[in-house]
Amino acid sequence: MADPSWSKHVADVLRRNGLRMFATVPDYIVSHVLEPLWADSECRVVTVTREEEGVGLLSGAWLAGQRGALLMQNSGLGNCVNALASLNVASQIPIVLVISHRGDLGEFNPAQVPMGQATGPILDALGIRSIRPGSIAELEAQGDGLIKLGYTRSLPVAIVLPPELTGGKQG
Amino acid sequence: MTATLTRAAATRLLAERLTREVVVSNLGQASLDLQQIADRPLNCYTYGAMGQCSSIALGIALARPDLRVVCLDGDGSLLMNLGSLCTIAAEGPRNYALVVWDNEVHQTTGGQPTATAAGADLTAIARGAGIEKAMEVRAEEELRRAYDRMLGEDGPFVVSVKVAKGRSEGRLDRDVVGHARRFRQALAALPR
Repeated sequence: MADPSWSKHVADVLRRNGLRMFATVPDYIVSHVLEPLWADSECRVVTVTREEEGVGLLSGAWLAGQRGALLMQNSGLGNCVNALASLNVASQIPIVLVISHRGDLGEFNPAQVPMGQATGPILDALGIRSIRPGSIAELEAQGDGLIKLGYTRSLPVAIVLPPELTGGKQG
Repeated sequence: MTATLTRAAATRLLAERLTREVVVSNLGQASLDLQQIADRPLNCYTYGAMGQCSSIALGIALARPDLRVVCLDGDGSLLMNLGSLCTIAAEGPRNYALVVWDNEVHQTTGGQPTATAAGADLTAIARGAGIEKAMEVRAEEELRRAYDRMLGEDGPFVVSVKVAKGRSEGRLDRDVVGHARRFRQALAALPR
Protein backbone atom coordinates (compact mmCIF):
# COMPACT_ATOMS: atom_id res chain seq x y z
CA MET A 1 0.00 0.00 0.00
CA ALA A 2 1.55 3.29 -1.13
CA ASP A 3 1.90 6.10 1.42
CA PRO A 4 -0.39 8.86 0.09
CA SER A 5 2.06 11.55 1.20
CA TRP A 6 4.42 10.54 -1.66
CA SER A 7 3.15 13.36 -3.88
CA LYS A 8 3.91 16.09 -1.36
CA HIS A 9 7.43 14.71 -1.02
CA VAL A 10 7.92 14.94 -4.79
CA ALA A 11 6.62 18.53 -4.83
CA ASP A 12 8.90 19.41 -1.90
CA VAL A 13 12.00 17.96 -3.58
CA LEU A 14 11.29 20.15 -6.61
CA ARG A 15 10.60 23.30 -4.60
CA ARG A 16 13.53 23.02 -2.22
CA ASN A 17 15.86 22.78 -5.22
CA GLY A 18 14.67 26.13 -6.48
CA LEU A 19 12.24 25.00 -9.18
CA ARG A 20 9.39 27.48 -9.60
CA MET A 21 8.16 27.02 -13.19
CA PHE A 22 6.17 23.92 -14.02
CA ALA A 23 4.63 22.69 -17.24
CA THR A 24 2.26 19.79 -17.48
CA VAL A 25 -0.08 17.68 -19.43
CA PRO A 26 -1.76 16.16 -16.38
CA ASP A 27 -2.37 12.49 -15.78
CA TYR A 28 -4.07 10.83 -12.83
CA ILE A 29 -0.82 10.21 -10.99
CA VAL A 30 1.09 13.47 -11.54
CA SER A 31 -2.08 15.43 -10.73
CA HIS A 32 -1.35 14.58 -7.09
CA VAL A 33 2.00 16.34 -7.38
CA LEU A 34 0.41 19.29 -9.15
CA GLU A 35 -2.02 20.04 -6.30
CA PRO A 36 0.57 21.43 -3.85
CA LEU A 37 2.29 23.28 -6.71
CA TRP A 38 -0.96 24.90 -7.83
CA ALA A 39 -1.61 25.93 -4.24
CA ASP A 40 1.82 27.56 -3.89
CA SER A 41 1.73 31.24 -4.88
CA GLU A 42 5.49 31.17 -5.64
CA CYS A 43 5.03 28.48 -8.25
CA ARG A 44 3.70 28.87 -11.77
CA VAL A 45 2.07 25.87 -13.40
CA VAL A 46 1.40 26.09 -17.15
CA THR A 47 -0.87 23.51 -18.69
CA VAL A 48 0.41 22.90 -22.21
CA THR A 49 -1.40 21.16 -25.06
CA ARG A 50 1.35 18.63 -25.72
CA GLU A 51 4.31 17.66 -23.58
CA GLU A 52 6.86 18.78 -26.17
CA GLU A 53 5.61 22.35 -25.75
CA GLY A 54 6.55 22.08 -22.08
CA VAL A 55 10.09 21.15 -23.06
CA GLY A 56 10.35 24.34 -25.12
CA LEU A 57 8.72 26.50 -22.46
CA LEU A 58 10.91 25.25 -19.62
CA SER A 59 14.01 25.53 -21.75
CA GLY A 60 13.16 29.18 -22.38
CA ALA A 61 12.54 29.70 -18.68
CA TRP A 62 15.96 28.26 -17.84
CA LEU A 63 17.65 30.47 -20.41
CA ALA A 64 15.92 33.34 -18.59
CA GLY A 65 17.23 32.17 -15.23
CA GLN A 66 14.38 30.06 -13.91
CA ARG A 67 14.49 26.36 -13.04
CA GLY A 68 11.56 24.19 -13.97
CA ALA A 69 10.05 20.74 -14.29
CA LEU A 70 7.77 19.01 -16.76
CA LEU A 71 5.20 16.74 -15.13
CA MET A 72 3.68 14.12 -17.38
CA GLN A 73 2.84 10.51 -18.01
CA ASN A 74 5.43 8.37 -19.77
CA SER A 75 3.29 8.50 -22.91
CA GLY A 76 4.26 12.16 -22.98
CA LEU A 77 7.94 11.27 -22.93
CA GLY A 78 7.36 9.78 -26.35
CA ASN A 79 5.96 13.12 -27.53
CA CYS A 80 9.12 14.92 -26.32
CA VAL A 81 11.94 12.82 -27.67
CA ASN A 82 13.17 15.04 -30.50
CA ALA A 83 12.87 18.25 -28.50
CA LEU A 84 14.83 16.76 -25.61
CA ALA A 85 17.54 15.52 -27.99
CA SER A 86 17.88 18.46 -30.38
CA LEU A 87 17.24 21.24 -27.88
CA ASN A 88 18.20 20.19 -24.36
CA VAL A 89 20.93 17.66 -24.99
CA ALA A 90 22.40 19.49 -27.99
CA SER A 91 22.37 22.95 -26.37
CA GLN A 92 22.99 21.73 -22.79
CA ILE A 93 19.78 23.09 -21.33
CA PRO A 94 18.77 21.40 -18.07
CA ILE A 95 15.17 20.67 -17.13
CA VAL A 96 13.69 18.18 -14.68
CA LEU A 97 11.25 15.57 -15.98
CA VAL A 98 8.76 14.05 -13.55
CA ILE A 99 7.26 11.04 -15.29
CA SER A 100 4.53 8.76 -14.00
CA HIS A 101 5.33 5.24 -15.06
CA ARG A 102 2.29 3.59 -16.60
CA GLY A 103 2.53 0.30 -18.41
CA ASP A 104 4.58 -1.49 -15.80
CA LEU A 105 3.68 -3.57 -12.71
CA GLY A 106 -0.08 -3.88 -12.24
CA GLU A 107 -1.04 -2.21 -15.54
CA PHE A 108 -4.61 -2.86 -16.70
CA ASN A 109 -4.53 -1.05 -20.08
CA PRO A 110 -2.72 -2.91 -22.87
CA ALA A 111 -2.21 0.35 -24.78
CA GLN A 112 0.04 1.65 -21.98
CA VAL A 113 2.38 -1.32 -21.93
CA PRO A 114 4.68 -0.66 -24.93
CA MET A 115 5.62 2.85 -23.75
CA GLY A 116 5.87 1.48 -20.24
CA GLN A 117 8.55 -0.91 -21.42
CA ALA A 118 10.26 1.74 -23.59
CA THR A 119 10.49 4.45 -20.93
CA GLY A 120 13.82 3.45 -19.38
CA PRO A 121 15.54 2.68 -22.71
CA ILE A 122 14.40 6.04 -24.19
CA LEU A 123 15.86 7.98 -21.26
CA ASP A 124 19.06 5.94 -21.47
CA ALA A 125 19.33 6.45 -25.22
CA LEU A 126 19.15 10.22 -24.70
CA GLY A 127 21.75 10.08 -21.94
CA ILE A 128 19.21 11.43 -19.45
CA ARG A 129 20.12 10.34 -15.93
CA SER A 130 17.07 9.09 -14.07
CA ILE A 131 15.98 7.69 -10.73
CA ARG A 132 13.01 5.42 -10.11
CA PRO A 133 12.38 5.57 -6.37
CA GLY A 134 10.24 2.72 -5.05
CA SER A 135 9.56 4.43 -1.72
CA ILE A 136 9.46 7.87 -0.12
CA ALA A 137 12.74 7.02 1.63
CA GLU A 138 14.41 6.34 -1.71
CA LEU A 139 12.96 9.51 -3.20
CA GLU A 140 14.30 11.54 -0.28
CA ALA A 141 17.69 9.84 -0.54
CA GLN A 142 18.13 10.42 -4.29
CA GLY A 143 15.97 13.35 -5.39
CA ASP A 144 18.18 16.26 -4.31
CA GLY A 145 21.30 14.62 -5.71
CA LEU A 146 19.66 13.94 -9.05
CA ILE A 147 18.53 17.53 -9.50
CA LYS A 148 21.92 18.86 -8.43
CA LEU A 149 23.58 16.56 -10.97
CA GLY A 150 21.28 17.82 -13.71
CA TYR A 151 22.27 21.44 -13.20
CA THR A 152 25.93 20.47 -12.76
CA ARG A 153 25.93 18.60 -16.09
CA SER A 154 23.56 21.18 -17.58
CA LEU A 155 21.39 18.39 -18.97
CA PRO A 156 17.89 17.06 -18.33
CA VAL A 157 17.27 14.53 -15.54
CA ALA A 158 14.19 12.41 -14.83
CA ILE A 159 12.34 11.28 -11.74
CA VAL A 160 10.32 8.28 -12.86
CA LEU A 161 7.41 7.53 -10.52
CA PRO A 162 6.73 3.78 -10.35
CA PRO A 163 3.48 2.25 -9.06
CA GLU A 164 5.37 0.94 -6.00
CA LEU A 165 5.75 4.60 -4.93
CA THR A 166 2.47 6.08 -6.13
CA GLY A 167 0.05 3.18 -5.91
CA GLY A 168 -0.38 3.36 -9.68
CA LYS A 169 -3.77 3.68 -11.30
CA GLN A 170 -6.37 1.03 -10.61
CA GLY A 171 -8.46 -0.12 -13.56
CA MET B 1 -1.39 37.35 -54.34
CA THR B 2 2.42 37.11 -54.58
CA ALA B 3 4.28 38.47 -51.57
CA THR B 4 6.82 41.19 -52.29
CA LEU B 5 8.32 41.74 -48.83
CA THR B 6 11.43 39.71 -48.20
CA ARG B 7 12.24 38.06 -44.89
CA ALA B 8 15.60 39.84 -44.82
CA ALA B 9 14.02 43.27 -45.36
CA ALA B 10 11.43 42.55 -42.68
CA THR B 11 14.18 41.41 -40.30
CA ARG B 12 16.13 44.60 -41.03
CA LEU B 13 13.11 46.77 -40.22
CA LEU B 14 12.74 44.98 -36.90
CA ALA B 15 16.46 45.19 -36.09
CA GLU B 16 16.34 48.99 -36.49
CA ARG B 17 13.83 49.16 -33.67
CA LEU B 18 15.55 46.85 -31.17
CA THR B 19 16.98 48.07 -27.89
CA ARG B 20 16.74 45.67 -24.96
CA GLU B 21 14.19 43.28 -26.48
CA VAL B 22 14.86 39.56 -26.55
CA VAL B 23 14.56 37.99 -30.02
CA VAL B 24 14.08 34.24 -30.36
CA SER B 25 14.51 32.92 -33.89
CA ASN B 26 13.37 29.76 -35.58
CA LEU B 27 15.78 27.18 -36.90
CA GLY B 28 17.02 27.69 -40.44
CA GLN B 29 16.24 30.81 -42.42
CA ALA B 30 14.91 33.01 -39.59
CA SER B 31 18.06 32.48 -37.55
CA LEU B 32 20.33 32.91 -40.57
CA ASP B 33 18.79 36.28 -41.42
CA LEU B 34 18.90 37.47 -37.82
CA GLN B 35 22.54 36.42 -37.39
CA GLN B 36 23.60 38.19 -40.54
CA ILE B 37 21.58 41.37 -40.05
CA ALA B 38 21.77 41.95 -36.32
CA ASP B 39 23.78 39.43 -34.31
CA ARG B 40 23.57 40.39 -30.63
CA PRO B 41 23.75 38.57 -27.28
CA LEU B 42 20.02 39.09 -26.67
CA ASN B 43 19.24 36.93 -29.70
CA CYS B 44 18.25 33.36 -28.88
CA TYR B 45 18.88 31.28 -32.00
CA THR B 46 17.33 27.84 -32.20
CA TYR B 47 18.81 25.00 -34.21
CA GLY B 48 16.58 22.03 -33.48
CA ALA B 49 13.26 21.08 -31.89
CA MET B 50 11.28 22.24 -34.92
CA GLY B 51 8.03 23.79 -33.78
CA GLN B 52 9.25 24.78 -30.33
CA CYS B 53 10.47 28.30 -31.10
CA SER B 54 7.24 29.98 -29.96
CA SER B 55 7.22 27.87 -26.77
CA ILE B 56 10.83 28.71 -25.92
CA ALA B 57 10.00 32.39 -26.34
CA LEU B 58 6.93 31.96 -24.12
CA GLY B 59 9.06 30.46 -21.36
CA ILE B 60 11.43 33.43 -21.54
CA ALA B 61 8.51 35.88 -21.49
CA LEU B 62 6.96 34.24 -18.42
CA ALA B 63 10.27 34.09 -16.56
CA ARG B 64 11.19 37.71 -17.41
CA PRO B 65 7.98 39.78 -17.50
CA ASP B 66 10.12 42.93 -17.34
CA LEU B 67 11.46 42.32 -20.87
CA ARG B 68 9.72 42.28 -24.21
CA VAL B 69 10.17 39.03 -26.11
CA VAL B 70 9.83 38.82 -29.89
CA CYS B 71 9.69 35.41 -31.52
CA LEU B 72 10.54 35.03 -35.22
CA ASP B 73 8.86 31.78 -36.26
CA GLY B 74 8.14 30.22 -39.64
CA ASP B 75 4.82 29.03 -41.04
CA GLY B 76 5.97 25.42 -41.26
CA SER B 77 7.25 25.41 -37.71
CA LEU B 78 4.22 27.12 -36.20
CA LEU B 79 1.94 24.69 -38.03
CA MET B 80 3.80 21.92 -36.22
CA ASN B 81 2.92 23.39 -32.82
CA LEU B 82 -0.44 25.16 -33.21
CA GLY B 83 -1.28 24.24 -29.62
CA SER B 84 1.30 26.82 -28.63
CA LEU B 85 -1.14 29.55 -29.73
CA CYS B 86 -3.68 28.24 -27.21
CA THR B 87 -1.10 28.22 -24.43
CA ILE B 88 0.00 31.77 -25.30
CA ALA B 89 -3.63 32.89 -25.20
CA ALA B 90 -4.29 31.13 -21.90
CA GLU B 91 -1.20 32.61 -20.21
CA GLY B 92 -1.69 36.00 -21.86
CA PRO B 93 1.83 37.42 -21.49
CA ARG B 94 1.73 41.15 -22.18
CA ASN B 95 5.41 41.15 -23.15
CA TYR B 96 5.10 38.59 -25.94
CA ALA B 97 5.01 39.08 -29.70
CA LEU B 98 5.02 36.23 -32.19
CA VAL B 99 6.08 37.22 -35.71
CA VAL B 100 5.58 34.52 -38.32
CA TRP B 101 7.52 34.63 -41.58
CA ASP B 102 4.86 33.05 -43.77
CA ASN B 103 6.30 32.21 -47.18
CA GLU B 104 3.86 29.32 -47.64
CA VAL B 105 6.64 26.78 -48.12
CA HIS B 106 9.09 24.64 -46.18
CA GLN B 107 12.00 26.74 -47.43
CA THR B 108 14.87 24.91 -45.80
CA THR B 109 13.91 21.53 -47.21
CA GLY B 110 13.41 22.66 -50.80
CA GLY B 111 10.25 24.72 -50.96
CA GLN B 112 7.48 22.17 -50.48
CA PRO B 113 4.15 23.99 -49.90
CA THR B 114 2.78 24.27 -46.37
CA ALA B 115 -0.87 24.41 -45.39
CA THR B 116 -0.87 28.21 -45.63
CA ALA B 117 -0.37 27.79 -49.41
CA ALA B 118 -3.65 25.89 -49.43
CA GLY B 119 -5.43 28.64 -47.54
CA ALA B 120 -4.77 28.01 -43.84
CA ASP B 121 -4.99 31.43 -42.19
CA LEU B 122 -2.59 31.75 -39.25
CA THR B 123 -4.12 35.03 -38.11
CA ALA B 124 -7.58 33.50 -37.97
CA ILE B 125 -6.18 30.45 -36.15
CA ALA B 126 -4.49 32.74 -33.61
CA ARG B 127 -7.75 34.65 -33.07
CA GLY B 128 -9.57 31.38 -32.71
CA ALA B 129 -7.07 30.35 -30.07
CA GLY B 130 -7.93 33.52 -28.15
CA ILE B 131 -5.22 35.98 -29.19
CA GLU B 132 -7.10 39.16 -30.04
CA LYS B 133 -4.15 41.16 -31.33
CA ALA B 134 -3.50 39.02 -34.39
CA MET B 135 -2.86 40.61 -37.77
CA GLU B 136 -1.66 39.73 -41.24
CA VAL B 137 0.82 42.04 -42.95
CA ARG B 138 1.79 42.22 -46.62
CA ALA B 139 3.26 45.69 -47.22
CA GLU B 140 6.22 47.46 -45.69
CA GLU B 141 4.20 50.35 -44.31
CA GLU B 142 1.80 47.93 -42.60
CA LEU B 143 4.75 46.07 -41.17
CA ARG B 144 6.24 49.23 -39.68
CA ARG B 145 2.93 49.96 -37.98
CA ALA B 146 2.65 46.39 -36.71
CA TYR B 147 6.17 46.52 -35.24
CA ASP B 148 5.44 49.84 -33.55
CA ARG B 149 2.32 48.36 -31.97
CA MET B 150 3.84 45.09 -30.84
CA LEU B 151 6.88 46.86 -29.35
CA GLY B 152 4.82 49.56 -27.69
CA GLU B 153 1.51 48.06 -26.58
CA ASP B 154 0.59 45.23 -24.27
CA GLY B 155 0.43 41.85 -26.00
CA PRO B 156 0.30 39.07 -26.67
CA PHE B 157 0.60 39.79 -30.40
CA VAL B 158 0.66 37.54 -33.42
CA VAL B 159 1.90 39.22 -36.60
CA SER B 160 1.81 37.00 -39.65
CA VAL B 161 4.03 38.50 -42.34
CA LYS B 162 3.53 37.26 -45.87
CA VAL B 163 7.06 37.13 -47.27
CA ALA B 164 8.53 36.11 -50.60
CA LYS B 165 9.87 32.61 -51.06
CA GLY B 166 13.62 32.24 -51.21
CA ARG B 167 16.67 31.20 -49.26
CA SER B 168 19.08 33.69 -47.78
CA GLU B 169 22.74 33.67 -48.76
CA GLY B 170 25.37 32.73 -46.24
CA ARG B 171 25.94 30.06 -43.70
CA LEU B 172 24.38 29.69 -40.27
CA ASP B 173 26.89 29.79 -37.40
CA ARG B 174 25.91 26.68 -35.44
CA ASP B 175 27.67 27.33 -32.14
CA VAL B 176 24.73 25.66 -30.45
CA VAL B 177 26.11 25.55 -26.92
CA GLY B 178 28.01 28.83 -27.11
CA HIS B 179 25.05 30.88 -28.32
CA ALA B 180 22.77 29.49 -25.61
CA ARG B 181 25.36 30.33 -22.96
CA ARG B 182 25.93 33.82 -24.37
CA PHE B 183 22.19 34.49 -24.42
CA ARG B 184 21.64 33.24 -20.88
CA GLN B 185 24.50 35.37 -19.55
CA ALA B 186 23.30 38.46 -21.41
CA LEU B 187 19.83 38.02 -19.97
CA ALA B 188 21.13 37.46 -16.45
CA ALA B 189 23.17 40.66 -16.73
CA LEU B 190 20.10 42.76 -17.65
CA PRO B 191 18.73 44.37 -14.49
CA ARG B 192 15.08 43.57 -13.77
